[in-house]
Amino acid sequence: MNKYRFPIIAASALAVLISAPAALAADVTDIGFVDQEALSALPSFASANRQLSEYGQTLNRQFTARAKGASQAQQQKLQQQFQSEMQQKQQQLFGPLLSKAQVAIASVASSKNLSVIIDKRIVVAGGVDITSNVRDLLTSPSDPVPPVATPPPSSVGYVDQSAIDNVPKIKTAEQDFATFRQSEDRSAQDKMKAAKTQSDRDAVLKDYRKALDDEGTKVVKPVLDETRGAIADAAKKKGLSLVLDRSMIIFGGTDITSDVTGSIK
Amino acid sequence: MNRGLALVALCALAACAKTVAPGTAPSSSGPIGYLRIDDVIKHHPLYSQLAQYDQNIDALSLGGTVPHAVAGAEVKKQQAQIAKELQDAANRTRALLDQKQKQYQFREAQAIRQALKAGGVSAPGAGAVATQVTQTAGVQSAEASRGAQRDFAIYQKSLATQNESELSAMQRTITDKANRTYRAEQDRLQAKEAALTLDLANKDAAERLALKTKLSSLALDDTARQDARAKLDALDRSEADAVGAMRNRDTQTLAALQTQLRAQVQADMKAQAATINSRALAKLQNRESDLRRQFAAPAMQSTALTAAKPAAAQNLPPALRDRIAHLHADYQKQFTADAQATIDDFQKTRLDLSRRYAALGGADAAAGGDARDQIASLQRKRDELYDQMVEQIKREATTMAHERGLSVVVSNPVAEIRGVDLTDDVAKDVETLHE
Repeated sequence: MNKYRFPIIAASALAVLISAPAALAADVTDIGFVDQEALSALPSFASANRQLSEYGQTLNRQFTARAKGASQAQQQKLQQQFQSEMQQKQQQLFGPLLSKAQVAIASVASSKNLSVIIDKRIVVAGGVDITSNVRDLLTSPSDPVPPVATPPPSSVGYVDQSAIDNVPKIKTAEQDFATFRQSEDRSAQDKMKAAKTQSDRDAVLKDYRKALDDEGTKVVKPVLDETRGAIADAAKKKGLSLVLDRSMIIFGGTDITSDVTGSIK
Repeated sequence: MNRGLALVALCALAACAKTVAPGTAPSSSGPIGYLRIDDVIKHHPLYSQLAQYDQNIDALSLGGTVPHAVAGAEVKKQQAQIAKELQDAANRTRALLDQKQKQYQFREAQAIRQALKAGGVSAPGAGAVATQVTQTAGVQSAEASRGAQRDFAIYQKSLATQNESELSAMQRTITDKANRTYRAEQDRLQAKEAALTLDLANKDAAERLALKTKLSSLALDDTARQDARAKLDALDRSEADAVGAMRNRDTQTLAALQTQLRAQVQADMKAQAATINSRALAKLQNRESDLRRQFAAPAMQSTALTAAKPAAAQNLPPALRDRIAHLHADYQKQFTADAQATIDDFQKTRLDLSRRYAALGGADAAAGGDARDQIASLQRKRDELYDQMVEQIKREATTMAHERGLSVVVSNPVAEIRGVDLTDDVAKDVETLHE
């Protein structure tokens, strides 16, 4: 699939960034990780999941019945109401569980002197796996005790992708590219329709991909480069070794989102 | 605090996380390393197959939505054509009923006039009226005939248009089906080839690693080095030969399938075209024979006007009055039966058109569904291959992390300031993985 279909930060991760020789690399011993999939399989989470699913099915039936014969505006309103009620239920079921999980993660991180806990999915090798410790705390009858100290400063930073995506300059670039792609999709579909042979179709596809790549280079790449530069600058100023996407940080880390959005506005 | 909660919630709710087990900690303390997996993956020997999947998905999304969109447009066109045909049929039926009514009125009037003559009753100015009525009847008959011919020509034209449209839609359906069959087989063979490549690489991985480690030893003498290199080459050749042999077989399989599909498409199109054409011809012949039947009736003769009948009937002898009443009832019955036959014909046409209308909708939905299913299936295969490639890349990276004493290696950072970039080295290793 086309690389520009992914969010900007995800795409920026693919590009060549500032790299440093090994000699300059700082020793890091305080990065831990958690397997969230394993935690979500715990009986308490599975039960909450089941309850939410059952609640969702019942609510869905009720709203479907109410939506019958309703105007489009009423249907939209009903849909919003449905989502709001689902969120409330989700909060009610998962809120206490997640708070407990967060305290458990913080507690284990503190006891192991870890400054940051990241998602297992991005760990290729090494790191300290605290999944079983967290699981033990979550399955014990007593509640985990919150750590006394706040996490130590971490050399790992993070940025909030969605906040960066909302910077007007980036949003405009993404929208421009999306509009261009829609138009290219339509045009390519028409050409595909007229194509008589397989080689005609291959040519249409090649042109389509090239057009998207060219437009991506023209519209999106400059913004990506600027964003990458801003992230690297902010990271250097804060003495960070590594910057990850916020969704991959579970605990700790240094947020540099506002520094980045401030400099690319 | 909230970001962790959100993430756990996300995974708990959607069970979405797909993890690849990281390696054991290579070193408790050491520099941090990072890897841009999507850059490395471009160097993976199976990348061309991954790209092929992407290309096929794109093609199907465009082509898949295209046939869908085309089918949609085509279906709408055909539906409009059917609606028009239905309207035309209704108009024709009305005109025909009108003509028949007039025709029966004339025939009834003629019969009554003859009955009156036979009964010795002469209507005032009967001769003059008869002449006038004959002329009017002739004009009306000619007009009706011309109208019917016009209707027939229009029907013939609309049938031809509809025929062409049906042929074109049928041709597209058959070709699309053949293309889908070919692509599905191509994908299946590609997946098989990828699986073999991965299987061979995994099978030889330990031996390859041992040989590479041996070769990297400075203490190795020339003979032993040559021996290790020869073994490594032999491994490479063996893997390449096995994959090459499979590829050759697959190419032949695809070529044979292509030939078979071409022949099948030709045969299917010929058979379908013959069916469509014969159906159209039969319809045309039916319509023509209807027309001939309707206008082959004896030329209408002049007679007393039906409207005059009631007045005249008042002064007639009872027997003659009964005879006229009987004639009237008889013609009325004949007309009703004939009109009913015409209406039945129309109902049949309407039913036929409705069926075709429904079939069009069904065909459209099926075409769209096929393409969507195929995209979903391709996407699954693509993701499986991607995951396997990433697993392999991570294994290589883990080995490298051990060798270099890195404490942790993460994938796809947003920015890396002071870490060890393993991307290029892992890419080189992965490149030689299946050589």
